[in-house]
Amino acid sequence: MDLLNTPTYKSRQISRRAILRAASCGFGYLGLTDLLSEKSNLQASFADGGATAPTGHFESKAKRVIFLFMHGGPSSIDILDPKERLHQDDGKSLPIKRPLAFDDENPAGPLMRSPWKFKQSGQSGIPMSDLFPYTRECVDDLCVIRSMVGEGVDHGAAMLQTFTGTSTFTRPSMGSWVVYGLGTENKNLPGFVTIKPALSHGGAKNWGSAFLPSSYQGTAIGHGGLYVKDVKNEPIKYLTNNNLSPELARFELEMLQNINERHRSLRKYDPELEARIQAFELAFRMQSEAPEAFEVDKESTLTKKLYGLDNPVTSDFGWQCLLARRLAERGVRYIQCTHTYMPGGVGWDQHGELFAKHTENAMQVDRPIAGLLKDLKARGLLKDTLVIWAGEFGRTPVSQNGDGRDHNPYGYSIWMAGGGVKAGFIYGATDEFGYHAVKDRMHIHDFHATVLHLLGLDHEQLTYTFGARDFRLTDVAGKVAQKILA
Amino acid sequence: MKQLHLIFTIFARHEYARFFLQLVFTVVGTTLLSFGKSSDPIDFFERNIRPILTEHCHACHNHELKTAGLDLETAAGLKMGGQSGPLVSINNPEDSLLLKVLSYKENLKMPPSGKLNIQDLNSLKTWVHMGTPWPESIKALVSKKNVSTKDRNKANGSLWAFQPISDPTPPQVMNQSWIKTSIDRFVLAKLEEKGLRPSASARKETLLRRATFNLTGLPPTIDQIKKFVEDDSPEAFKKVIEKLLASPRYGEHWARHWLDVARYADSTGSDEDHKYPYAWRYRDYVIEAFNKDLPYDRFVVEQIAGDLLPKSTELEVNQQRIIATGFLALGPKAIAQQDKTKMLYDVYDEQLDVISKGFLGLSITCARCHDHKFDPILTKDYYSLISILASTRNFKDSTSHVASLFMKPLVSSKEYQEYQTHQDKIAAKKTILQEVVGKVNERLIEVESTKLVDYFVAAHQIYTQGKNPKVLAKQYGLHETLLKKWSSYLAPNQTFRPHLLDWQRARPTDLFFVARDYQENFRLQFTEWTSKLNQWRQNIKQISKKEDREPAPKFLPGKDRFFYEVYLNSKPKNEKITAPFLISDSDHELFSPKTVDIIKRLKREIEFLQKISPKEPQMANAVEEGIIVDQQIFRRGNHNILGEPVRKKFPVVFDDKCKDFVIEKGSGRLQLAKWLTQPYHPLTARVIVNRVWQWHFGEGLVRSPDNFGTTGNRPSHPKLLDHLARKFTDGGWSIKNLHRFIMQSNIYQQASFRSKSMISIDPNNELWSYFPRRRLDAEEIRDGMLAADNTLDPKMGIILQEGTGFQPENSSDRLSLDPESVLFRTVYLPLRRANLPPFLRLFDFGDATNSSGKRLQTNVPPQALFMMNSKFVEERSHNLANMLLKSSLSSNREKVQYAYLRILNRLPSVKEEDTALNYIEKFQQKTNKTKDGLNSWQSYCHILFSSNEFIYVD
Repeated sequence: MDLLNTPTYKSRQISRRAILRAASCGFGYLGLTDLLSEKSNLQASFADGGATAPTGHFESKAKRVIFLFMHGGPSSIDILDPKERLHQDDGKSLPIKRPLAFDDENPAGPLMRSPWKFKQSGQSGIPMSDLFPYTRECVDDLCVIRSMVGEGVDHGAAMLQTFTGTSTFTRPSMGSWVVYGLGTENKNLPGFVTIKPALSHGGAKNWGSAFLPSSYQGTAIGHGGLYVKDVKNEPIKYLTNNNLSPELARFELEMLQNINERHRSLRKYDPELEARIQAFELAFRMQSEAPEAFEVDKESTLTKKLYGLDNPVTSDFGWQCLLARRLAERGVRYIQCTHTYMPGGVGWDQHGELFAKHTENAMQVDRPIAGLLKDLKARGLLKDTLVIWAGEFGRTPVSQNGDGRDHNPYGYSIWMAGGGVKAGFIYGATDEFGYHAVKDRMHIHDFHATVLHLLGLDHEQLTYTFGARDFRLTDVAGKVAQKILA
Repeated sequence: MKQLHLIFTIFARHEYARFFLQLVFTVVGTTLLSFGKSSDPIDFFERNIRPILTEHCHACHNHELKTAGLDLETAAGLKMGGQSGPLVSINNPEDSLLLKVLSYKENLKMPPSGKLNIQDLNSLKTWVHMGTPWPESIKALVSKKNVSTKDRNKANGSLWAFQPISDPTPPQVMNQSWIKTSIDRFVLAKLEEKGLRPSASARKETLLRRATFNLTGLPPTIDQIKKFVEDDSPEAFKKVIEKLLASPRYGEHWARHWLDVARYADSTGSDEDHKYPYAWRYRDYVIEAFNKDLPYDRFVVEQIAGDLLPKSTELEVNQQRIIATGFLALGPKAIAQQDKTKMLYDVYDEQLDVISKGFLGLSITCARCHDHKFDPILTKDYYSLISILASTRNFKDSTSHVASLFMKPLVSSKEYQEYQTHQDKIAAKKTILQEVVGKVNERLIEVESTKLVDYFVAAHQIYTQGKNPKVLAKQYGLHETLLKKWSSYLAPNQTFRPHLLDWQRARPTDLFFVARDYQENFRLQFTEWTSKLNQWRQNIKQISKKEDREPAPKFLPGKDRFFYEVYLNSKPKNEKITAPFLISDSDHELFSPKTVDIIKRLKREIEFLQKISPKEPQMANAVEEGIIVDQQIFRRGNHNILGEPVRKKFPVVFDDKCKDFVIEKGSGRLQLAKWLTQPYHPLTARVIVNRVWQWHFGEGLVRSPDNFGTTGNRPSHPKLLDHLARKFTDGGWSIKNLHRFIMQSNIYQQASFRSKSMISIDPNNELWSYFPRRRLDAEEIRDGMLAADNTLDPKMGIILQEGTGFQPENSSDRLSLDPESVLFRTVYLPLRRANLPPFLRLFDFGDATNSSGKRLQTNVPPQALFMMNSKFVEERSHNLANMLLKSSLSSNREKVQYAYLRILNRLPSVKEEDTALNYIEKFQQKTNKTKDGLNSWQSYCHILFSSNEFIYVD
């Protein structure tokens, strides 16, 4: 077992059994830091079957993450980062060297101004464009980061880097690292849930656990090619027994456990056998209790309306956001909602038709996102939930195909809210065209370091040994952006 | 130093602390030493300074941007300085602006992303003191040999794994009667030393189940159980082993072990996850290699350089050996990476990783950016090996937007050419057809677009009032086909189309006028576009050579979305929209009878050509010799910063083993393969015998099968490992003989029960005092269940994935095949790297992307949920219950026995039978659904399938 060669483990004298138990308990129930905290009593926490309070490397405000992922690359300079220069120089050619682009088959056009108006809003006066009128009402809760930097110019590389830190190798995803570090708070639910994720551009790698034990991988609720109505019936595979009534299922389980107990009594000193008996008990409880978390329909009419479930345009992403809140409430550690290439749609990837398609996309997500922020705040969840809104990159200030924009990972914007970040705050800046990040650059490694920090994890200490090396989410880089910490 | 401190704290409390600290100091010490000694200023710049500038400064301070007037890409730029003045003070280096800014103590702080680390700061300081040496050219950089690194190298070469394979004499033991093979001597000697006794022999049924799953991945049949239990001869187990080794099921199972090491999958993974259409050929090659016991040294050589070996059969092409190089070809690839050099070197790196982990048990790729921290592998060694792979061809076209994969025909070039010519003919005919339709289309629209107003107005009446298109077409003098298309195009739907807003918002009284604007606009674009096209057609007529012709003009869609969408957009991304003015060759009513005849004839000809075309020749995802590359070191692994050139050779630590394998021409793959398989290579044989041991016992003699380096585990029985390696090599590298040798040992035939003394003396079973119980692997669970209800389809060589290239973003075509949907053995299921079947991931299959000699093993509730609720297990239980009820077995007791034999491969005790019968009766009472008791029998089978006894092999 490679786990045992991990210096971190050896140094704290964690037994092989403890690690197996950690990995064996549900969907990555116990985190590394639980194991490392010498005070935590593993046996006790298992015996009482209750949830242990998570403890990271240090105190933190954020206890969980909701990641709202906009697949395809929303254009920062049309949403969060207004550029006066593009207005002045609309139609002129770009006066600086153009960095490596994605789509060279269609040579880049001239600079193109944003077709949307920006408005300052709230106390903070953070500008946001007319694409997001609802979310704009919440700007005082947002921490806008205008200086994101990635390396991938194609979707796959950029997404893999956003979610795993590298596009070159197969590495565990951010959510897996978080659950590996902190465990989950609810035994009956997975610690890492990704709702309708994209199958393309890395697919399951983006929520995979790579060489971490598979219990830390994300549990996918459907995928991006499905409508919510197709997902609702069986959100998690194998979770419901369609064959037997609960009473008969229990009757069957008892017989199974009898046989297993007898088998075990003849085979002493094998903790695996006992662990599997326990796993069946836990599984049975999960199948009775977990489905309740997915009953989004039971929310009040008012709440459903807040998320836009009353409107066919917003109902799909609205359902995702509302489910995210329900899961957050129930102690799921890391939740991702994805707005992606719907059947017949094109996602946020506007190499052409920027105006039409960005408008359509924004209409689908704006109300649900604002609804989520308001709802989290009203329920007191926003203070310990870190909400992240991001695409895999932004788009170029120069046009493409006459009315679109190419990919731009060299300087783009995202926002965060809640969970220990400064509210109503703008961090970093791009150059006057919105092409390169120039001030307080936040590389994706820095982004990861910061998110882990907000959750109370030190990105340099959260390591795992595989092959001959210690791995971490941030590879050998990453700096925490201290300025955005509240 | 922070990191050093960290390592300190981590190791300080560890029992091996002293050892590791020594190691750390050795490494750090030498690095610092070489750092200080580096006397060549240019080398110093390239090694230490340029990477910092590239990483932290050039994004803004480059030749083009010159942020704050500063260009740090050239020596001249540095000299010029920026808006704040000169950067470097020659007289007073410490006072240089550069250092102040970097120190983060002044108002101006650089780089903006955060202060540089101490090491980089020190380098820059040294550099400023040196007078900022800067080569104007990066060519011809040859650094001096770094003596200190070589010393370190030698020192680390003393690691056990690099020592020659010894020929130990099997030790003497007290309990002579227990010995069956020499393996037992090595094991027993250690047990006796620790005061332990080996376990008793396993029961016959247990041993048979163990051996059958172990060699074939399947349970024994009832006949096999009966035969073995009744066979009292001393040769009984030997016969079983022979029978199992002779079964084709053996190759299917053991190939899967190797496919883990070879990180086998059927798609590129990474970004675009394109299919490897012929990956299955490599899979089948591995299955056959195991089944026919291809000597391992040959197996290694063929996988690395099969295409370079002489032909193996009378065939014109070396098919099997070309297919074998799929080992190199089938790795993950980021084919949409736009930095194509990086893409290629990531592929070479990945290939070197699977070679070094797979065959050598070393992680050589750690040396891509720096000399290996723990093992005696230098960056120089890394690039020497990389140059072999860089001289090998992996892509058909690596420069295209999304790189296209190389596929090698498995037929003679003549035969392939024939096929290709035929394909070209078909393509040419298709082009003609397209041109005919296009020309008609153009003429038709020339006329019809003058009636666009009528199309709009009539369409409006169709989609708002439901009027009959046929009647309207007649009334307005329009083509009914086109009118229908217009009606569905203009009808409002959920998509937002700004270019149709004017139409959608028009008041009923304004419809005509708005439509007229659309018509005028269309006519304008149409005239301009067709004249541009005609101009181009004229131009190319005068140029005979196809290659010299300018490409057809492209319409910039953004220029006019409306025109583009209705007339040019043949493949709209949004499937809801079809172009109303674009006609297809099946819209016969739009063509003249004569043209229809032409179209029909062309289509017939195409059909005929396709019919008589030779079949697509067999192809393989393989590699071949590429352009021979003169490799240079990439500093810090960055291919934009070139270092000294390297020769193609093997790592310095193996120097004395390399004399006979000099690479003079070609890629050097064949020499690499031969170097690996020289008889007493210290690693190759040790690594594979250890793997085989592990695949028998669950753990290897070295418990880190892919890492024999410094950070890996030491062998528990080093002499036994060498004994096995020697016997293996001397006996012709036969894997099947190795199985026989291991399985005929008494240690393999022990019981799996554990006692208190075993657990206290040997808690991790490193002495093998008992046989380790193991959970079935994902494949064994699925295949074993399919075998139990007799539904396993035994066909071999199954191809379940076809085609290649792009699949729509979120279509389910991107998923791997659902393992529950077919009944073939699991090894035949295609594996899409980006979306592996959840069932496999659930049972620790791994990720099919990293070479992995050992799977993790988890024990989690979602696995239990699969057992409880999956359709798959339900179906197995249902089938088996049906089988029981329809069988000739008369009593219920016999039925219980039969179920036990099929699922648990043994007979139940009387008590177990009673319990079963009691349960079945009670279940029947609770349901009363069916008279025959199918439900209750199904439930009982379900229990046995879910039981620990099924999934754990004793």
